[in-house]
This record gives sequence, structure tokens and C-alpha cells, in this order.
Amino acid sequence: MPEVKQVEGKNVEVNSQPKSSAIRNEEKEIVVKIKRFSPDKGEWWQEYKLKVDRFTQMTEVLRRIKTEQDPSLSYRAACHMAVCGSCGMKINGAPRLACKTLAIELTKEYNSNEITLEPMDLYPRVKDLVVDLDDFYERMYKVKPRLYPSEEILEGKAEHRLVPEDQRELWKFAQCIWCGLCVSSCPSVRNDAEFLGPAAHAKGYRFLADPRDTITEERMKILVDSSWRCTYCYQCFNVCPRDIEPVTTIKKTRAWSSKMKDKTKVIETGEKHINAIADTIRKSGKLLEAEVYLRTYGLVQAMSDMLYMLKSGRMKYTLIKEVPVKDLNDIEKVMKGDEQ
Amino acid sequence: MEKLSYDAVVLGAGLSGLMAAHEIGKEGFKVAIISKVFPTRSHSSSAEGGIAAYIPGNSDPNDNPDYMTYDTVKGGDYLVDQDAAELLSMKSGDIATVMERWGTLFNRQPDGRIAIRYFGGQTYPRTRFVGDKTGMALLHTIYERTSGLDVDFYSEWFALDLIRDQERVRGVIAMQMKNMTPVFFEARAIVMATGGMGMLYRHSTNSYINTGDGYAMALRAGVALKDPEFVQFHPTALYPSDILISEAARGEGAVLINNKGERFMKRYAPNKLDLAPRDIASRSILTEVKEGRGFPGGFVGLDLTHLGPDYIKERLALAYEAAKSFSGIDATVEPIPVRPAQHYYMGGIDVDITGTNHDLRGLFAAGEAACVSVHGANRLGSNSLLETLVFGRETGRTVADYLKSTSKPSSSVENIELEKMLDEAYSFVKSESGVHFGEVQNKLRDIMWEKVGVFREEKGMQEAVKEVKELRQQVTKMYVNDKSRVYNTEFFNALELRNMMDLAIVISSSALNRKESRGAHYRLDYTQRDDENWLKHTISYLRGNTVEISYKPVKMTKWKPEPRVY
Repeated sequence: MPEVKQVEGKNVEVNSQPKSSAIRNEEKEIVVKIKRFSPDKGEWWQEYKLKVDRFTQMTEVLRRIKTEQDPSLSYRAACHMAVCGSCGMKINGAPRLACKTLAIELTKEYNSNEITLEPMDLYPRVKDLVVDLDDFYERMYKVKPRLYPSEEILEGKAEHRLVPEDQRELWKFAQCIWCGLCVSSCPSVRNDAEFLGPAAHAKGYRFLADPRDTITEERMKILVDSSWRCTYCYQCFNVCPRDIEPVTTIKKTRAWSSKMKDKTKVIETGEKHINAIADTIRKSGKLLEAEVYLRTYGLVQAMSDMLYMLKSGRMKYTLIKEVPVKDLNDIEKVMKGDEQ
Repeated sequence: MEKLSYDAVVLGAGLSGLMAAHEIGKEGFKVAIISKVFPTRSHSSSAEGGIAAYIPGNSDPNDNPDYMTYDTVKGGDYLVDQDAAELLSMKSGDIATVMERWGTLFNRQPDGRIAIRYFGGQTYPRTRFVGDKTGMALLHTIYERTSGLDVDFYSEWFALDLIRDQERVRGVIAMQMKNMTPVFFEARAIVMATGGMGMLYRHSTNSYINTGDGYAMALRAGVALKDPEFVQFHPTALYPSDILISEAARGEGAVLINNKGERFMKRYAPNKLDLAPRDIASRSILTEVKEGRGFPGGFVGLDLTHLGPDYIKERLALAYEAAKSFSGIDATVEPIPVRPAQHYYMGGIDVDITGTNHDLRGLFAAGEAACVSVHGANRLGSNSLLETLVFGRETGRTVADYLKSTSKPSSSVENIELEKMLDEAYSFVKSESGVHFGEVQNKLRDIMWEKVGVFREEKGMQEAVKEVKELRQQVTKMYVNDKSRVYNTEFFNALELRNMMDLAIVISSSALNRKESRGAHYRLDYTQRDDENWLKHTISYLRGNTVEISYKPVKMTKWKPEPRVY
């Protein structure tokens, strides 16, 4: 008979006898192709063959290559449990932590026994899989990554208790391990020098939203303009090995625009843009791109762009006549719900 | 060689190193932190369960610091220096509160105060936690805090050796890993906060970077290690990555099974079964494997399946997630593969409760690199994070006081001596043939695991001492393939192996000498604790190829030894 235990108010069935299942294993020979690099020799691909089992992490693959086959291979790795952020690299083309990636799983996912390893994109290469992360750290330092509580609290004269709900909200975003994967895969970082990048935004928001912090004005100046420079491609969301959702912190930071006194051009344009989107949907149930464009960038900019569009034969797209959807009231309801 | 001058240099940027540097820097002294990894990559980040702290007004009403000290002393099988354990308990609440003010997002009670939970060996619950990533949360907080001070960070710099004169420390030689440029860091004080040494063992829950560098540097500078034979093994490390599966799993009813599906703990601990202490459970698992009842690869199963998926996901989230991500195992339908692994090093650089070493003036140590002796023969869970911060801070304050009262030495360090040490290290690069670090390292890790591991006995340890000495001889003839001067990790791995060798010989010799079983030091030929002859600290020096061992008394205040029964 199953026994019943209480777990946080709920009854949960617990069988008293353990099931004796054997632990299955499997072995495979894999070929690891590594993009090597050194300043003297340049770049080349090198292949290694080794046997792995069901449990072999890619960091262990690297360790075994280094101790048993080729000690000259350079890479970073430390904790092998996805908390230190050392082993970020491109595995079969995708930015991942090597420790959080099992070799056999990869062979199944890609239906091939060949695995490629490359250094992370964006950062300058130092050697083999090791890249120079100075730029990444600079981005992190720009957001003043530390709590600035009041003097009274620091001296123990006052207490500012953090309620569990705030703790949970902040902890989600505080778990950034500075691995750099999100920044390496972020197109906005490449295109816009003023954009701080996803990791710095996660870190920045963690302190911006902390009710105990005292330099909120300064943080807004650092973060809000940059937050409007993100293009919402969701790459950071996809690659983050700790599921922090940096893009969510960027969205949440944008909401602080309304509290800004001196808005930059980027913030103003951004605000106009979202207001225009909301208005056209409210009016027609659709996103009217031409109107959004006009309201965001103004008539003068629009006219000069139109000349370009005429030349390139794309003018017809702006002349489509949009018809409002039928149940406009329902859309209004949905939007109200969202605003609440 | 380029020279940089500091008041103090801290080696290691984990919790204890950053805390010490913070305290020294805060006093206006010029301080450098040298770390072979970027600070947040330090092994402190891997700590899971929590930090023990008695916080007045926010603890069990029956609890007090005396209970905390008693638990620590008993857990350490009475080899604990009781004044150190008292200090640890007394400062615990303050240090947790300080970290909270600096921004650590501790789990909260509904009223906003720091939450609390039970951990093994505690009379009353006193573990404070941030989910199951407490170490990571604390490390990021202290790094963020310290990086806001006027402290110089030298990340990805490898420290080679301490430089000393007849009586005092003069600095340290370190090398930037990116371009291999050696620099002499001249300093009046050096703090060793270099962490543990798990890589000495074939199986360890430690990071790849834990190669015992600080212990070896201290030994080579003529400094003693205290209680070097005490190495803690944890029974349930995930196969094969050796990631820790918390004791909480067995606390919730998980069962250890062999390849016959048999609940084997009934043979070894008929009453406590799977909740037997770490050392007994570790020994039982290895016995099963040795006698052919383990699974291919050498592990047993930690079976949670009978608990039901809801229960597992509610109460054992981390065990479930770790098994899934790192072993591809769904713990709700099949057992988690586990085996014992080296987990923590109780031994370390001999320091007193202020963090001061008395062999070499100007040398201090904190954290796992040090042996203040708060853990004695066996460490209690959640006491390691506490130790790093409490003694990191004590040590930092001691160093600041020391700097105020100590003048700069009048003579300068001879360049010749520096070049000699550098040449010794470089000899591996200059050699064109010999052994590789990989082959020697694998052999060493096997010897330590088989012969100076969970089970120990005379013959095995004698062999270990002999074999380690031979390997140590081979290491002098080590060579590296890679002659490049850019991020040459082969060269640094070779230096790490040299450090591992120096420590291994000290551990194996000291273990051979202690003819009793106490805490984590379990001998098949002397199975009992022997207080009459062995209630004393081991003090070991390394002189060339010999280990000089002496003993010194354990500091007792209130607690008399009694049998360790749980």
C-alpha cells in the first residue's frame, strides 16, 4: 500500500518499497573537431577520437583530450556544474556551457558522431577555445554591479527587510554567472556601441529593482536609454544556461522610462514607437506599420525614407489599405487586461 | 623581472580571499588579489546547501552559540580547537547579517527575516540559504562589494612561489597567464586563500582548479601543514561528474541500492540505514563496488523513484535537476548513479584563530587553504561557507593591524633568487623530453584514491608514500609540448601537478603515521579512536623528499571527549 506524506499542505503518495531498476549505460566513439588558434600558427581544425558513455560531459571530453592525447589544447573550465561560467563556447555552432552538455546527447540531437567546438563569437581569441572577456567585464562594471544600501543599514542602525516576493523576483535575475554567452550571440551588441548588452542589463535590473538600493536615479541614467536599443531577438533568452531571461529585464527596465525626467532621443523615439503601436491596435485591431513608422520617426524622416522606397520599388507596401478587424471591443478588453 | 609593490597580496579570490582583501583595502592599505581564475569562477561558487549562523532574535528559541560550538566539536571528532569553534559560532550571526546588508538574496521568512533550515549534525536548525546556490550568491555579493573598493585584481595570474628571507615573507612571483609575463609582487603580508585540493583524488566534488597550490607554496617556503591526513569524502556524488547530491536526498527517504536491487545499508548500519554518517555510507558503497555488487563503471544507485514525482520535484529539486542535466537520468523513474568522492580538506596551513602563521612572519591563511582547526577530523555541513567569511574577515583585520605595526624591510630582495625560482618553473618548457603532466597526474589521482582514500591501512599507505616519491622524482623531468607564451595551460597544468605532488607526499606520510581511526581518517588496521595517544594535531613540514612530522595539543575549553554516537 502506498504511504501518504504531507508536502506543503498537499497529500503526496509515497511507495514504501524501492523499485529495483538497473542503471543503463551506452558507449559511443565520437570525433571531436576543435577550431584551434594561436597567434603564431593562426587557425586550424584538429580532430580527436575518443570513447564516451552516456554521462560524459563535454568538459570531461576536453579534460581527457588534454591529459591523454594533446596537452597543448587550451580551454577554460572549473566547476563542471554550471555555476562558475568558465566553459562557454560554441558547440556544434550553438553557444553553450561545455559542462552542461552531454556528448552522447549531442550525437543524438544532431544525428552525427562528429562534434565541433569553437570559441565564443564576438570576443577576440586568445588561444584555442580561450577568448578575451575584458569587453564583457567592462560592460558589467558599467552598471555598477553592487548594492548601495543606506549608511544606516550598513552600520546596522536600521533594517530594511526584503519580503519573499521581492527576493524571488530579484534572485531570478541575480543568477547571472558572467559566462558571456548571451553577449557573444547578441546582434545589438555588434551594431550599437551604446547598448550595454543582455548580461549587464540583467545585473543592472537586479539592483535597479532592489528596494534597498539608494542610487536609483543614477542607475536609470545608465540603463534606460540602453534598454531601448535592444531589438528583442531573444537570442539571450535562448542561450542563457541559467534561464535568467536577460530580455525580460530589458523589458522591465523600459517600463522605468516614465519615471525619467531628462529623456534621451532614443527613449523618446522608443516611447513614441510603442504608443503608436498600441494606438493602431486599439483603433484597428492590427499593427499599422506605415502609421507606426510615421508617428515614431516624424514626417520629415518619413519623406526622405519614402524617396528611397520609391527608388527601390517598395512604396507599394506602404499604400496597403488596412481594414479594421470585426470584434474591436474584444481587443480593447484584452489590452485593458494587459495594462492592469 | 618586473616588480610591483603592495602592502599585502592575497592569493585566491574565493570567499575568504575577497573578504580578507576587503578588510585590508578598507583600512587604506594597498592590496592586490591574485587569482588563477576570474573571481566568480572560484570554487566557492559551487557550494550548495547553506551557511550556518546563529542570529539572535532569528533562530530557534532554544538554540545558542554553545550548542553550535558543541555540534562542531563533536562532528569534528574532538580534534577541533575549541576556542576556534567558539569564535566561529559567536561571529556567525554577524557575518550572515553583513552579507545580507551587502545584498545577498537570502531566502526569506514571510516577515522578511532570513529563513532557516536543518542540516546534518545540528541540534537546532541554523542553516541560512539562497535556494541551493548559496555559495554562488555569497561569492557574487562579496566580489561585487570588493570590486567597488580601491583593490587591484590580477585575474588569470598564476602564483609560482613565495619569496622569503631568513625570518619574513617578502612577496610572491606570479605570471600573467595570457602572455606569461612574470612579475615579482613585493609585499609585507601574504594571505593564502587558495582553497582546496580535490584534483589529488580520482573522484572529487571539487572544481578542476582545486590543485592545492597554496599548501604546496607554503610547504616549499618552509611552513607546516596542520592535520594534513584529514580528507573528507562525501558518499553521494553523481556518477561520473562527481557533482554533489545533497544528503537531503537520503533525509527525505532516498535509498542506496546495489546491482541486485538490494538495500545494502542494512548490512552496514542496521539501525540508521541510509542515514548513517558520511564516512560509514562512503565505506559501505565502496565495499559493495569492490565485492562486485556495483554497476559497471563503479557506482551504486540512489533510488528516489518510490517517493513519487511530486515529492521529488517539491523537496529534492536540485538532486532531480543535477541528475537530469549532468547524467541524463530522470530521477523519478530510475535511480541516480552515485559513488563517494573527495569533498573537502580539513587539513591546511597551520594558523591560529587570528589567521596568523607562526613559521613565517607576514604569512597568513584563511578558508580551506588554512587549518584554524574549526573542523577537526570531519567538517559539518554549512560550516565551510561560514568559516571562509568569519576567518577571512578575522585574517584581513589581523593583516591590517600587522601592517600598521610593521615597517618595510630595509634590504631589497636579490634578483638572483627570483630568477632561480623562475628558471626552475621554466625548466619544464625548456626540456625536450620526459614525462607529460597527464600521465603522472592520472597515476597520482589513482594512488591517492586507492591507498590514501576512504579506507586506509599500513601496507597501502607505505606503498603510496613510496610511489608518490617516485612520481615526484619523475615530475622533476616533466616537459611540456607547447612552447608558446600565450595562455599556455599545459605549462600551468605542469606547475599545478608539481604542487599536487608536494602535497600528496605530506598527506600520505602523515596518514601513515596516525595509528587510529578518527573522523574521516579511517584505518582498517586501527578501527578505533584512541584519545590517549592520538588526541593531538599533526604538524608536517616538507624537507626535500622527507616529511617531518611532530604533534601538538588540541585546544580544549569546555567540551571533554565522548564517544561519537549518532
